[in-house]
Amino acid sequence: MADDVKAEGASDTSHLYEGKKVRSSAPSRRKAAGRLKSSTEIPKDAIPEIHVPSFIESFFGGPVVSKDKFLPPDRMVSSLQAGSAASLMVLSFLTFMITPVSGTAWFAASNALGLGVAAGLFHLVLIAIGLIGGVYGTFQRDRRAMLISYVALILVTIRFAGSTVEFRLDVVPESEIVQKFILILYAVFLVMYMELSSGVIRFSMLDTSIRMNEVYVMGVNKITRKYHTSLAIAPAIAGTVALMTLLINLIIPAIVGIFDDVSALRLKESVELTSVYGVALGTVIVFVVIAAMFAVNLPLRVQQMRERNA
Amino acid sequence: MAWSRKSAMFASLAIALYLLGLVLRNQQLVTVAVVLLSFLTWAAFMSNHADVSSSGRRVEDADSDEGIQLNSIVALRKISSARIFEDGEIEVTLRLQNRSNLSKIIEVRDRVPEVMRIKKGANYVLMELGPQRETTISYTIETPLRGFYTIGPVCVRVQDAFGLFHNEREINLYDDFLVFPKMEDIKDALIKSRVPKIFTGAVNIRNPGEGSNFYNLREYIPGDPMKKVNWAATARSGGKMMVNEYERDAVSDIILIIDSRGVSETGPVSRNSLVYSTRAAASLSQYFLSRRDSVGLVVYSDEIVSVDRDTGKKQLYVLLTKLAGAMAKGNTPLKVVTNRIMPHINRGSPIIILSPLEDDPTIVDAVRDLRARNFDVTVLSPSSLEFEFDARRLDRTGYEVLKTERDILMSELRGLGAFVMDWEPDMMLNTALAGARGF
Repeated sequence: MADDVKAEGASDTSHLYEGKKVRSSAPSRRKAAGRLKSSTEIPKDAIPEIHVPSFIESFFGGPVVSKDKFLPPDRMVSSLQAGSAASLMVLSFLTFMITPVSGTAWFAASNALGLGVAAGLFHLVLIAIGLIGGVYGTFQRDRRAMLISYVALILVTIRFAGSTVEFRLDVVPESEIVQKFILILYAVFLVMYMELSSGVIRFSMLDTSIRMNEVYVMGVNKITRKYHTSLAIAPAIAGTVALMTLLINLIIPAIVGIFDDVSALRLKESVELTSVYGVALGTVIVFVVIAAMFAVNLPLRVQQMRERNA
Repeated sequence: MAWSRKSAMFASLAIALYLLGLVLRNQQLVTVAVVLLSFLTWAAFMSNHADVSSSGRRVEDADSDEGIQLNSIVALRKISSARIFEDGEIEVTLRLQNRSNLSKIIEVRDRVPEVMRIKKGANYVLMELGPQRETTISYTIETPLRGFYTIGPVCVRVQDAFGLFHNEREINLYDDFLVFPKMEDIKDALIKSRVPKIFTGAVNIRNPGEGSNFYNLREYIPGDPMKKVNWAATARSGGKMMVNEYERDAVSDIILIIDSRGVSETGPVSRNSLVYSTRAAASLSQYFLSRRDSVGLVVYSDEIVSVDRDTGKKQLYVLLTKLAGAMAKGNTPLKVVTNRIMPHINRGSPIIILSPLEDDPTIVDAVRDLRARNFDVTVLSPSSLEFEFDARRLDRTGYEVLKTERDILMSELRGLGAFVMDWEPDMMLNTALAGARGF
């Protein structure tokens, strides 16, 4: 091979090849590395850090509870935290008021064991977990604690009720409308607590992004004002719709009463209509109306009308 | 209208509680479910109000999306430069107009390439845009890596106040820009043609080099051929060896060969052989073209891309554009490249090969062929071993072994009469070239 080189002047290199074997190929790094290392184990620091999602994470499309780090809360976040904590207090009291121990799984279990007090204690512990977990989660901005709080406060209401509205505290009047109003109040506070506590996380993320210069916000006051307005309007709307649904046993007889008083009276006294199945019927009727509104694209039409009139 | 995870969770919870409530005949559960569903419905109703529309400069958006009014939000972008060097900055100005009669709260994200860094401002803005108003977003991006890039599209999103539902549109507004490899100032690359080629109008450039006219005397430095030694001057200087320097008297043809095979991208994204090679090639091109040399370029990867020799500033931009677009792929052997180009270049022209010298059994043959035809070969080899070792992807033993093999290969090439430099990551190009000259 060396003979191929034409030696000439400064590039006369033939002496380098005399009596030597000249290899004509580059060394293969991979081969050398594999052959000469004492172990074929891949060094730990050579493996990039990749988070492989678990089955649960894959199912939900991401971590169920993300762990974000936030900067100290700003005024908006602090006010949301206060609002969330306040709604949680009211919710805990309402939960305690409207959820009797009878009919729950732990009531049955404690009776079977002959420990009647244990069920009441467990019931209170569940509410306490919901309250303490929620307050902790809201102020520490810890989503795991919030999730535990949601679960505890929903779990405590799961009981076999036999279609009748039954409250733990007797201070509530026997009036059906008042009872249903309190039920709706409870449900609205539960939803508001869930919304406010998730709002704490959402606005903390936004605030952190703003302060880290990842996002720029123009007209922040108008944006927060819109959220505050929605916080006032949405529960009122949701509560009204729910009230219509729950009072369907009064609404339907009232409508039928226009045409036939006897049928209206029969409907009013109907056990099915006053039971949970009456509520189910009400739900179907109300949501059929809502679906029809979406079917005729009412939101867009309202929008177009507002555009024209603006 | 798209659902968020939160709305999906709310809806699932509502349905579950509703069904459970019916089974257990529990009005509390049913009431919670109904309130949740009502809450969701209201949010959906409101988010359908929140229309987003867009029009791009390139493609007009189709008006097929239900619930979305077209041409109410318009975006226009302006960038400060379409051609920039690595580590440069581009100022982006995005103008957003709300042509609707209603005020809107929108999120705007101008998509920038992943490798770019936002230096000033933000490309993600949450804003309230009044009716018939327009606003301007400005931000500056840093361009750390060469290549062809595109800014865009502009993503505009409107969501309800609770973040349950959102409408999203992409405004097809794109701006392309080119990032050239950055250049180092090379004061003296010391690579000259052995066979001067006179172009019409070539000027006497009065630089030391391989010419015929005497230029000056200087002290001997290792590597100078003995035929250059001026013995009379040596005798007069009291023992110091003096050599003659000659004036470069013509324009050289310089060929740069860039190894852009897949293996050349071994190492971190910003510190690998190809990045270093392209930067070196850009610096060398600028240097030689400023000396009125004629520079040609060959980039080989899965194909061989060449730029014919030429002079002038226009040629510099042609070369820089090719270097910016060099992609690491394929495994074409160097021998194939040299066989293809050798008939087309003047004998004796300097050839600079920028390659990690890896995974190619034909390197020695190729360099031998070039040397046999009296080409002045310089091999500048960015060491991917160093890149990998620095990135802790190679252990000490493996590194030492591979380094030894690499040194042996380089010695072989030097033995063929090529100037070879093992270019370590922290070494300046000037130093690397001076080192190559030392052999």
